[in-house]
Amino acid sequence: MELYTKSAAELSRMLRDKSCSATEIAQSVFSRIDAVEDKVKAYITLTRDSAMDQAKAVDELLAKGESLSPLAGIPVAVKDNICTKDILTTCASKMLYNFVPPYNATVMEKLLAAHTVMPGKLNMDEFAMGSSCENSRFFKTHNPHNLNYVPGGSSGGSSAAVASGMATLALGSDTGGSIREPAAYCGIVGLKPTYGSVSRYGLVAFASSLDQIGPMGRTVEDVAMLYNVLCGHDKMDATSAYREYPDFTANLGEGVKGLTIGVPAEYYGEGVDEEVKTAVHAAIKELEAAGATVKEISLPSTQYALSAYYIIASAEASSNLARFDGVKYGYRAENYNGLIDMYERTRSEGFGDEVKRRIMLGTFVLSSGYYDAYYKRAKLLQMRIAQEFAEAFQSCDLLITPTAPSTAFKIGENVDDPLKMYAADICTINVNIAGLPGLNIPCGKGANGLPIGMQLIGPKFSEATLLKTGACYEKIVGGFGPIPEIRA
Amino acid sequence: MQIDIKHVAKLARLRIEDDQLEKFEEQMQDILGMVENLPEISGSEFGVDPSCPMQLRKDEITPSLRRDEVLKNAPEVKAGCVVVPKTVEQ
Repeated sequence: MELYTKSAAELSRMLRDKSCSATEIAQSVFSRIDAVEDKVKAYITLTRDSAMDQAKAVDELLAKGESLSPLAGIPVAVKDNICTKDILTTCASKMLYNFVPPYNATVMEKLLAAHTVMPGKLNMDEFAMGSSCENSRFFKTHNPHNLNYVPGGSSGGSSAAVASGMATLALGSDTGGSIREPAAYCGIVGLKPTYGSVSRYGLVAFASSLDQIGPMGRTVEDVAMLYNVLCGHDKMDATSAYREYPDFTANLGEGVKGLTIGVPAEYYGEGVDEEVKTAVHAAIKELEAAGATVKEISLPSTQYALSAYYIIASAEASSNLARFDGVKYGYRAENYNGLIDMYERTRSEGFGDEVKRRIMLGTFVLSSGYYDAYYKRAKLLQMRIAQEFAEAFQSCDLLITPTAPSTAFKIGENVDDPLKMYAADICTINVNIAGLPGLNIPCGKGANGLPIGMQLIGPKFSEATLLKTGACYEKIVGGFGPIPEIRA
Repeated sequence: MQIDIKHVAKLARLRIEDDQLEKFEEQMQDILGMVENLPEISGSEFGVDPSCPMQLRKDEITPSLRRDEVLKNAPEVKAGCVVVPKTVEQ
């Protein structure tokens, strides 16, 4: 078995019993990149030299007998909207095509402190706006299970790299589903953590009241290992919570006996494909057989979530993206006549169409005369959605829903229809709106051979419950399958 | 709801070319149609989530980035400052 196929947990054990070195792991991942990256196209930037140096440093420290983090020497790739000191960070946008951050995001500092190895920076939808990775201004990423299909988005480079063995783990970011939906489309595990549990310092902001960074991997244990490193308070992010976190790998074997799983009817409605509903129901049955109690519940405001989400997210994006003006960093138009013209040309040439649409929508809903009708109503609705979840969690430990209404769609299928594209997020956005944790767990395949995912949703800071439920299901089905063969 | 694309674009400091205007208008109209189905909700106040209170940090002097590090990404720099087109006529 090649090292790139192994989980972080296995590699960590192998490093400790000296059956492989960190250098061999990095070499194996880069040989996999050499073999399939030109077909999958997950990476915007490869950092081979610094990665090999990091691996060599881990081998030297281990040889000296130093005790390192369990993730030391494990290849963890990073989405390109997370700042990496002296390494290009583009957000897949022409606007930041040349941006080299002078500092590391807090999560990047944590990865470095844990001695992980970073193979490179991953493709995404421009400024994390999209559900297919087709909005990257550089190139499209392909689904490793079938290259004609999208890998999901916006963390599509992250999901494709992990699913194809070009990284053992990856960081994604999730504002409306951008970790969970691509994880579902590529058949991997992806955690959108509780709002406030992972610092966003150094994450290029999209919608600050919704954005979260989270881990993606091929097993639940791997995702728990990476989450252990990421979570925690950071004084650089005023929204990060003050609390102690447990070791999330400690109770993965506990099983689901005594847990009550809520099944909200609204998530199994018309817009969701039959094969997805069937697969998720079958997975819930397995968990019931393993000792969980299953309960039908209702979350009536679900139908309004897409509206509330696009108003809130776009409003915040229109403010956050005002900083891209051609003055401090990034792209500046070549020809212009005066300051205002320079701003307008820079922004019009630098941003792609989807980003422009969302800035325009956000500007409109915040503009004089419309604020009460749109933004204020959406914020009130956000509170109601959060309350409905809180009521559901009075009688349930977690909820299970589909992650996406269908399996991955074909590249090009939805590009000219924003509304169809937005519908890919209907099952995931509520979780961001309520600030809850959500976990994608693969649960079978559709008729087209592409993966289906289920979403585990819990109360704030219930990641341990979600992860142990996911681990229980993973054990029942005997793992989530091998890395697919990449065929042209 | 009709949306005045040119006005909104101006507020957002974006320029939508004439040949793109119709497509943009159509798509924005569709998106607005989607987001308009919000119910009337009573209540007027919304603010910070009480279960997750923010705590402001102390206002202390700490090491920060050097000026040259900050400026190395700016498109145009002169004498340690970013350069923009002239904004005030003499």
